[in-house]
Amino acid sequence: MSTPILELDAVSKTFGTGADAVHAAQSISFAVNRGECLAIVGESGSGKSTVANMILGIYPPTSGEIRLDGSVLPARRQLEHRRAIQLVQQNPLSSLNPKRSVGASLRLALDVHDIGASSERAKLVGALLEEVGLPADFARRSPAALSGGQRQRVAIARALACQSQIVVLDEPTSALDVLVQARVLKLLNQLRETRNLTFVFITHDLSVVRNIATRIAVFEKGRMIELGDTETLFANPAHPYTRRLISAVPVVTREEAALRSSLAAGLEETTE
Amino acid sequence: MSTPTLDIQNLTLGFKGYTGFTEVLHGISLSVNPGERVALVGESGSGKSVTARIVLGLLQELRTARIGGSVRFEGRELDQLSRRERHALRGKAMSMIFQDPTSSLNPVFRIGDQFHDVLRRADPAISRDAALERAAAILAEVSVRDAERVLNAFPFQLSGGLNQRVMIAMALANEPALLIADEPGTALDVTVQAQTLHLMRKLVEEHHTAVLFISHNLGVVREFADRVYVIYKGRIVEQGATRAVFEDARHPYTRALMAAVPRLTGGGIPDIEENSPDFGAPLEIHDAEARA
Repeated sequence: MSTPILELDAVSKTFGTGADAVHAAQSISFAVNRGECLAIVGESGSGKSTVANMILGIYPPTSGEIRLDGSVLPARRQLEHRRAIQLVQQNPLSSLNPKRSVGASLRLALDVHDIGASSERAKLVGALLEEVGLPADFARRSPAALSGGQRQRVAIARALACQSQIVVLDEPTSALDVLVQARVLKLLNQLRETRNLTFVFITHDLSVVRNIATRIAVFEKGRMIELGDTETLFANPAHPYTRRLISAVPVVTREEAALRSSLAAGLEETTE
Repeated sequence: MSTPTLDIQNLTLGFKGYTGFTEVLHGISLSVNPGERVALVGESGSGKSVTARIVLGLLQELRTARIGGSVRFEGRELDQLSRRERHALRGKAMSMIFQDPTSSLNPVFRIGDQFHDVLRRADPAISRDAALERAAAILAEVSVRDAERVLNAFPFQLSGGLNQRVMIAMALANEPALLIADEPGTALDVTVQAQTLHLMRKLVEEHHTAVLFISHNLGVVREFADRVYVIYKGRIVEQGATRAVFEDARHPYTRALMAAVPRLTGGGIPDIEENSPDFGAPLEIHDAEARA
């Protein structure tokens, strides 16, 4: 198989030193293939956001290597590295500049990364908005004049503006209503296909992950405790913590409740 | 039939603003019987939280709010109570749990002192020692073992899950007839949330407390409530026993809402409209017997 687009090799991150040291990520290794959606799930303090931040280059790992397309990413990223890996955050209201129009925010990404001729860029902004299912004239609006779902679509368009290959999605739909969430997830799936994007999907929501991820990495207290493809992991979770996590999800149908209690039953056996 | 703990009839709410009058609730009727757990489920902006605030009597204080219809608490019309009488109900006969436990506790007082304040609402003469003793007993009911440490702590020194349990214990400390829970546990991790809901359910069952449970999370509602009201744009669109609503959703909006929840058993992301004229269809009521 071809080289994975992203590889983490024994990546660790420690904050602080001595007795106060916090080992936020401990020897994490995994590879992400081009075009897949790898989900990182875990509860608060599991280290999932630390790993996301290292992938984005917000801070370098304490030890270990992160490789993009086979070459090691430096601690200080070049523009091309930043262009390749983009972020969509949980709350689009705080990730979009409130004083800039939607169009200006998108335009800035095009200017910084020098994409398209400057005379073409206004048209590109319109095309980006249409690609995420918004009318092109939304470019004139301010983020405050948009609904939560529309804002998240703008944030996605902004991540795509610089022709990124990998998008790190940090709880992209947790702040949205369930009907809006379904539409945004649908859009993400579709973009992944048409643009051959690679997703690193950070979330605590296992029911979302079940339906969008190709593979799942389960994190607990700074360690990756399980990694497997979605079907296998849900059919037969190996780690008791994974079982516990799945069996805590609130569900809406009998079939799901049955799945959950079968996993919880297995949990009691393993803990005894 | 006994008097419902909470009986809301044809409640309307509007706000007067710079751009004119905005109607938020268009005539909501719902009731909660003694010891019953009732959920009001809907999306953001549907009017579920304002309904809770009207019951508590908080929106009545707002000069721009126009409220119509009737809200009866244990047979008494809230509208006819004086401000002082309404104030006396809060924290004693009815109490509320909010979404984020850490920000709803006072950051500059120890948990024990906050408990003392709460208990003083029911018994103004209660001593600090007696209050702490009582607090420890209630905390034990929500599985807080080291009550002494918790009572001595400030909220920021405790985890979110622990703070949520403190909130639940405080809300139930004065044995209220009605507990309003607005998205409890949404800010918590799933395993902690599951545990919190379980504790809360056990406690309200034991104390025979009626609960109005406000949530957008259908899964949590299914687990917690006896009866469900689905609210959409200020109107109740479907109501009935939890099982009936979940297994036989009839209103187009409820159906869309159910279908939109990603399933733990898989099946992909459904294709659903965010909006449809069908969502304006009239109210669907399940089963007469569950309304007894």
